[in-house]
Amino acid sequence: MSFEQLVFYAFAGISSLAALMMITVRNPVKAALWLVLTFISAAGVWLLAESEFLGLVLILVYVGAVMVLFLFVVMMLDINLAEMKEGFAQYAPVGALVALVVFGLIYLVVGPEHFGLDKTGLPVTHGPDYSNTKEIAVPLYTQHAYAFVLAAVLLLVGIVAAIALTLRRRGPRDALYQDIDAQVRVRAEDRLTMVKMAPEVEPDVSSKNEEEEGAK
Amino acid sequence: MIALSDYLLFGAVLFMISLAGIFLNRKNLIIILMCIELLLLAVNTNLVAFSHYLNDVQGEIFVFFILTVAAAEAAIGLAILVLVFRHRKHITVDDLDQLKG
Amino acid sequence: MLENYLPILVFVVLGILFGVGPIVVGYLLGPQKPDDEKLSPYECGFEAFEDARMKFDVRFYLVAILFIIFDLEIAFLFPWAVVLDEIGTFGLVSMAVFLALLVVGFIYEWRKGALEWE
Repeated sequence: MSFEQLVFYAFAGISSLAALMMITVRNPVKAALWLVLTFISAAGVWLLAESEFLGLVLILVYVGAVMVLFLFVVMMLDINLAEMKEGFAQYAPVGALVALVVFGLIYLVVGPEHFGLDKTGLPVTHGPDYSNTKEIAVPLYTQHAYAFVLAAVLLLVGIVAAIALTLRRRGPRDALYQDIDAQVRVRAEDRLTMVKMAPEVEPDVSSKNEEEEGAK
Repeated sequence: MIALSDYLLFGAVLFMISLAGIFLNRKNLIIILMCIELLLLAVNTNLVAFSHYLNDVQGEIFVFFILTVAAAEAAIGLAILVLVFRHRKHITVDDLDQLKG
Repeated sequence: MLENYLPILVFVVLGILFGVGPIVVGYLLGPQKPDDEKLSPYECGFEAFEDARMKFDVRFYLVAILFIIFDLEIAFLFPWAVVLDEIGTFGLVSMAVFLALLVVGFIYEWRKGALEWE
């Protein structure tokens, strides 16, 4: 087993184990952290496949941004953990069965009989001056310029959707703040008005009460 | 040397685990969204491996666009999740059946 | 090609060893005699009234999501800067259209007040 293979199996093993932990832990915060480990080791596997730029973008965009977003949402929602795991044992056999059947099918198609080293041969090796970023970039901005602009439209839709869905305008009535300027500026004349009015004669209370009791 | 089938089987294992995760965590919408991200990662691994072995860079460009789509999808999906939670105070998937006739 | 990454791999392995090693050594060498009193949240004062996790405001979420979008924009800018010599005017124009679309989104979020905190 060559050193390269050893590194590959280490990264792939860590990634698979972390993915397995992610789907089985109770706490969504821990699940998000295990998913971060999965992504980082998968980025290592991508580096071994000589796609350095994508491996680094995976760490930058996914681990840096998407996972932070997941953690924010998990923290924000404050959900009941025990209720969320209901039915876990019930679905476990079905899930494992479906997963194994799907894996068996995929293995029959992409297993070593069809894509082993003797079938595909070794990949082209590149010298130290090979730049994966450059190789990606030239077709990306010329041949795929339309898809590139569509990606910008997609990001624009993401911005607009996120703001339109979650931004709530806080009206002046929603939150009550102390306005010290207004408090200091207040004068007695603004709040208090002296009104002259004629004295009112109080009606005879006791005789009225007696009348009501007589009516009952 | 690493064979192409090793990369493909690694992608298959990730795909399988995330598929099982969707089955196991049917209540929790957040975990389901994470599993979808993992599905996309498994598919991207396959594209990267084929791109490496066929010495064709188009697969990697495709992966870049998939990453863009996945990030936008995660952002909008989580925004919808926040709205669901704000209206219903829980994110249990089984109870989101108001549109059922 | 991949040999250039050997220092990074050594760095990662050393980092993991330095991070995990002390925890493992502490776990193996330290005395562990837990009892109910030691495991309770506080040895004096009150029991915890409620969950320690508290809700964040939704505005944190909005800032994070806007960060992701512009993070991806930067990810698209890196390879463009590398090959600007080779792709010429066409590449310049395509990036100009890309940035113009995102500036539209930026103006939208500015006008809606999504960037204001209070």
